[in-house]
Amino acid sequence: MLKALAYIFGFLLLGELITYFFELPIAGNILGMFLIFLALRLKIIKLQDVKPASDKLIKYLVLFFIPYGVGLMVYFEIIANYWLPISVAVIASTVITLYISAIIIEKFGK
Amino acid sequence: MQEFIQLPIFGVFISIIAFAGARELRKKFNYALLTPVLVAIVFIILFLFIFNIDFDTYNRGGKYISFFLGPSVVALGVFFYEKYEEVKQNLKVFLLSVAIGGITGVLTVIIFLLLLKVPDFIIESLAAKSVTTPIAIEITKLTGGIPEITAGIVIAVGIFGNAFGPFILKKLGIKSKIAIGTALGTAAHGIGTARAFEESKLAGVYSGLAMCVNGIITALITPYLIQLSFWGVS
Repeated sequence: MLKALAYIFGFLLLGELITYFFELPIAGNILGMFLIFLALRLKIIKLQDVKPASDKLIKYLVLFFIPYGVGLMVYFEIIANYWLPISVAVIASTVITLYISAIIIEKFGK
Repeated sequence: MQEFIQLPIFGVFISIIAFAGARELRKKFNYALLTPVLVAIVFIILFLFIFNIDFDTYNRGGKYISFFLGPSVVALGVFFYEKYEEVKQNLKVFLLSVAIGGITGVLTVIIFLLLLKVPDFIIESLAAKSVTTPIAIEITKLTGGIPEITAGIVIAVGIFGNAFGPFILKKLGIKSKIAIGTALGTAAHGIGTARAFEESKLAGVYSGLAMCVNGIITALITPYLIQLSFWGVS
């Protein structure tokens, strides 16, 4: 478990370092996600070395973003002022996205 | 009392208790709108409101919880590797679907919000509304929006997809479980993926992968699409 955590945090650090030094317009953790995938594909690291930690983190992913959700309370007035355009735009966009994504697989998938 | 709630443990404890309680509630009553994350957030907001505690006080502890979003995003890369084999036979179509779906998700919400004339910071906060919350938060930090608004709307999008996604898609004539799964992951991230797993295990796997892939695609394109559209209207 400790080794797995060290790998996960190591790749996070690596992602942060690269975005910091090269001033890339992408978050360090997203780059870290991409790098750990590559490292696994290229067999630089083994799945069983990282799986104990990654499984636990994904299991509780939802818990980790609760504080941001609670933070919405600070912006309650903004949401109250713009709830209608926000709802219309977000729902319409979500339905279109669902359909476009689904129809491509429906038509061309196996 | 005032001193006690200033301690980080207050925010940490109430987050964990609220989440654990919300999960128990979900086990007893299986409604889509009783998504644990939503119930936990509403409960905490009400609690803070009733006892007149401000967000910053809560977040002294809350930030220790949200810190784990960083490593969790890295963990999604491991998940992606594990499930990658299962989508191999459909890989090209799958990637095409997620890429076009992902771009559509960002573009349409920007265009609709521009047409409805909301302030720019709302557009910057909502452009990444289809992707998993931790990635959406990072994207919003780059675009200059407000991450808390992003988190709230992203969770709402997930709940919408979870509650109505499969119903809407079936009404629109989609039959393939793989198509439904991919669409849920692309448009409604992890909360949608939870629903995809209820459709079938394979749908769930496609959904989880679509969530990861769209996270990367949206992270790469959103800053440029926002610039482009603001430039287009001005």
